[in-house]
Amino acid sequence: MNTARHLIVSCILSLGACAQAHAADWVGYRDAYRAMVVFEKYGGPKNYLQNHLQVVPLEKGVALDGLQLTLAGKANQVNLGLDPLGRTAFPLLKAAYDENAALYLDRKIGAFSVRPRVTLAPQADGVYDTAQLRAGCEQALGFARYADASLRARQCGGVRFVFARRAGESGLRLHRAEGGDQALAPVHGAAFEGEPDAGFPTVVYRFAGAERAQLISANPPLAIVPLFE
Amino acid sequence: MNKFSALVLAVLSGSAAAQTPATNPMPDGSRDMYAGLGLVSAARYEGAEHSRRRALPLLQVQWSNGVFVSGMNAGMHLSQDPTLEYGPLAELQPRRDESGDSGGVDGLTARYSIVAMPMAASSSNRLLGVSPVSTRLLGGGFLNYYLAPEWRLTSSLLYGAGNNRHGARVDLGLQRLALQVGAHHRVSVSAGLSFANADYNAAFFGVDEFDSLRSGKPVYRPGSGLKDGHLGLRWNWDLTPSWMLTTNLQVKRLAGDARRSPLVERPTNTAVSAAFAYRF
Repeated sequence: MNTARHLIVSCILSLGACAQAHAADWVGYRDAYRAMVVFEKYGGPKNYLQNHLQVVPLEKGVALDGLQLTLAGKANQVNLGLDPLGRTAFPLLKAAYDENAALYLDRKIGAFSVRPRVTLAPQADGVYDTAQLRAGCEQALGFARYADASLRARQCGGVRFVFARRAGESGLRLHRAEGGDQALAPVHGAAFEGEPDAGFPTVVYRFAGAERAQLISANPPLAIVPLFE
Repeated sequence: MNKFSALVLAVLSGSAAAQTPATNPMPDGSRDMYAGLGLVSAARYEGAEHSRRRALPLLQVQWSNGVFVSGMNAGMHLSQDPTLEYGPLAELQPRRDESGDSGGVDGLTARYSIVAMPMAASSSNRLLGVSPVSTRLLGGGFLNYYLAPEWRLTSSLLYGAGNNRHGARVDLGLQRLALQVGAHHRVSVSAGLSFANADYNAAFFGVDEFDSLRSGKPVYRPGSGLKDGHLGLRWNWDLTPSWMLTTNLQVKRLAGDARRSPLVERPTNTAVSAAFAYRF
């Protein structure tokens, strides 16, 4: 009986010390893996898509510029640079999973969580056929429906181009097949729905019937976000 | 989309409805295991007025092939669809005798009482003179559906309870999984109903002629139907990447013929548990 009590007290004391030692915030690699591997296992079309791990600060208004995520295992350490949206390519590593590694940030921003973000892959030449964008959005919707039954009634409405703040002008123009170019002015907004940082230059292109056109971007977008409505 | 919101420890549930951990995709050949020590305060048996506090080991393991062990349950995830979970399920139902339910993840009769409960042997014990219900391995299956990544409809059917092994129970539930309430704190809530066949109710709430003679209670033959409704609240606190404190509160109210049983002292029971778990 006393042994059991001593065990519990010792356990509490050691955990308290342990929690202080790990004051820096962290996320378990296994939990991140679990979130990210769903996309890898998805068997539907996804050639227009890319999947990132995104760091989401729990406190609003935290800047993510220059942050780096570190995968800290017992034997190895992998540094993962974050883009201005807080995203990084996530390595699916059995060794890190098996040793229950943790993910730390190199700068204190308070508590954070991570989540997967599926977007359309950017083109190296900056030219996007609207049919290709629509196909990419449909692929993203197919995956979203696969992972989340509550999205099964949604439809693709368009895409949102998100640019870096320093780009100022997006340099995005719409080139129609019958001729005539139209510059698309950016508006400041959030990269992803529900995010508090509404300071990114964004351009929303909504799919209109069977319009055949091209979107030509002078600056590489940070993300091309599918819009479900 | 946030799938690790689905992390739920379904442990320490000797008296709880069968729960299956959310499917846990992992590298081939890997496993995710929690082990620890918990303290639980729960009714001596379903419908008992008095509670008993005891220490119990805590265990939840999942393997990459879908097999899992969660407290007194074991099963296998067969679905590859992230919105659907199904597979076979087994539950070890502990023995119930005059002192109440036995407990322990790895013990059929072992009790880890750290607080003496004199009521267990008092003359007001309604189980006195009632035949024990032997430990049984129940078999069946589960089917869960995610309305959204955080909302899960759960169901399970288990058969083989009672001394005649014909007792069957169906559990239906709705879970709101892992609501993040701050750094490293997640709360899950659940509500559910349990239905039982006549053999199940007879085993745990009935009084046959033999038991009537021995106990002095009237003969009682319950039928099938709704057995109970229950609400659950679980709080998981990730202390470090490896250590977790998990706390669970469950309130269960017996219904139907089970509630009217002469063995029931109190229709509403509350169970509270807390445990430290290490993630291996």
